[in-house]
Amino acid sequence: MAMSRRSARPRFTLLLLVLTAVTLLTLDERSGGLGVVGAMRDGARDAFAPVQDAADTAFRPIGDFFQGAVHYGDVEEENARLRQALAERDGELLRAEDAARERQALLDQQDLEFAGDIPTVAARVVVGPASSFDLTVQIDRGRNAGVAPGMPVVSGAGLVGRVVDVSRSRATILLITDPKSSVGVRLANSGDVGVAAGRGSRSTLRLDYVDPATKVDRGEAVVTSGLQQSVFPPGVPIGTVVAARSGAGSLQQDVTVEPAVDLRRLTFVKVLQWSPAP
Amino acid sequence: MEPGPLMLVAPRLLLVVFAGLTLHLSLFATIRIGDVRPDVLLLIAVAGGIAGGPERGAVVGFAAGIVADLFLHTPLGLSALAFSLVGFGVGTLQSSVIRAAWWIPPATACMASTAGILLYALLGALIGRPEFLEPRVLAVAAGVGAANAILAPALVPVMAWAMPHEPDRSYV
Repeated sequence: MAMSRRSARPRFTLLLLVLTAVTLLTLDERSGGLGVVGAMRDGARDAFAPVQDAADTAFRPIGDFFQGAVHYGDVEEENARLRQALAERDGELLRAEDAARERQALLDQQDLEFAGDIPTVAARVVVGPASSFDLTVQIDRGRNAGVAPGMPVVSGAGLVGRVVDVSRSRATILLITDPKSSVGVRLANSGDVGVAAGRGSRSTLRLDYVDPATKVDRGEAVVTSGLQQSVFPPGVPIGTVVAARSGAGSLQQDVTVEPAVDLRRLTFVKVLQWSPAP
Repeated sequence: MEPGPLMLVAPRLLLVVFAGLTLHLSLFATIRIGDVRPDVLLLIAVAGGIAGGPERGAVVGFAAGIVADLFLHTPLGLSALAFSLVGFGVGTLQSSVIRAAWWIPPATACMASTAGILLYALLGALIGRPEFLEPRVLAVAAGVGAANAILAPALVPVMAWAMPHEPDRSYV
């Protein structure tokens, strides 16, 4: 009898834990991540932030060494590419003034707002994706710095994602490549609009709702559309088209976009203190 | 948990879980191949089952899962549910092992971590996150399993230290 009671105890403990976990899941779902559950998350992140900062500083060189060792070929290739890009930039510098004038004219023509007018909060990426599923990163600025949920996040090259969760000193950014992410976009040449959706890995985006009759060029720039109610301001670069094809009888083209930002190597980003017009 | 050593075990477990979280969010956030990286908190659940049996494995898995949920943008309780089931499963499996061998902990960590990721994805899909069941989940699960297998020989003795009153047939 005693043996039976003893062997039943682990199962009883497991049952209690499962019920507790299901209760927490229900509470989280009902509260939409706010309320007590949100406060618990905020408190935990804020309390752990100093430890995380110290550990990040201590371990970053090891991580950099590992990345360098594993991706040596990539680094070498990138080095060569950067040298070539630098040489090209030297030449382009001479045409910079004219290019700037042309760009302004193009922006005016397309009725795009200049993203530079929007106030920004500079931040450092302190945590990369915390799991193999989670295409989010954490930055070292939060509510205290004026960051709020929904704000777009950019780097020098273009759109990174948007803020989905904020505590006092930290914010979580949903990357544009996450499957939950969808961004209203416009093709620079044709002006056609579509939706850039994440695919769950940090490589490419899928462009939906592009008319099969639209001519989409490889290398064509894709920017945020900024249509009414859009959660992103207009004219922020998303990336470039790497493939486009129309299937027979298909109602839309299969368009693949490579993000302008290297989401694997994010270090510094800027949060745009922007919210869509009501 | 076994009565008696709770005062000794609880602080050690907390220390191990938070040290694991620190490593997970710092060192192992940068050590990734492709999109796959070790999942230290899942490995803590597996090691808890190996070192402590089904009951302790479930409790350690739940604790590691709750900590993971607080720092991930996933529903609170999802990792706790998956990890406690993994800890319990590993603990049940280890109590049936008769012979000790050096390769058993890494092999167990590999299989249990792979199963844990698949279970996490399945439970996530059941509660409204169907994107977790995308095709690459198999590659992710296999990658996490391999990475955790490499780390298991280091972590299992740490868990044995954290839970000194081992069950009779533990193979640690």
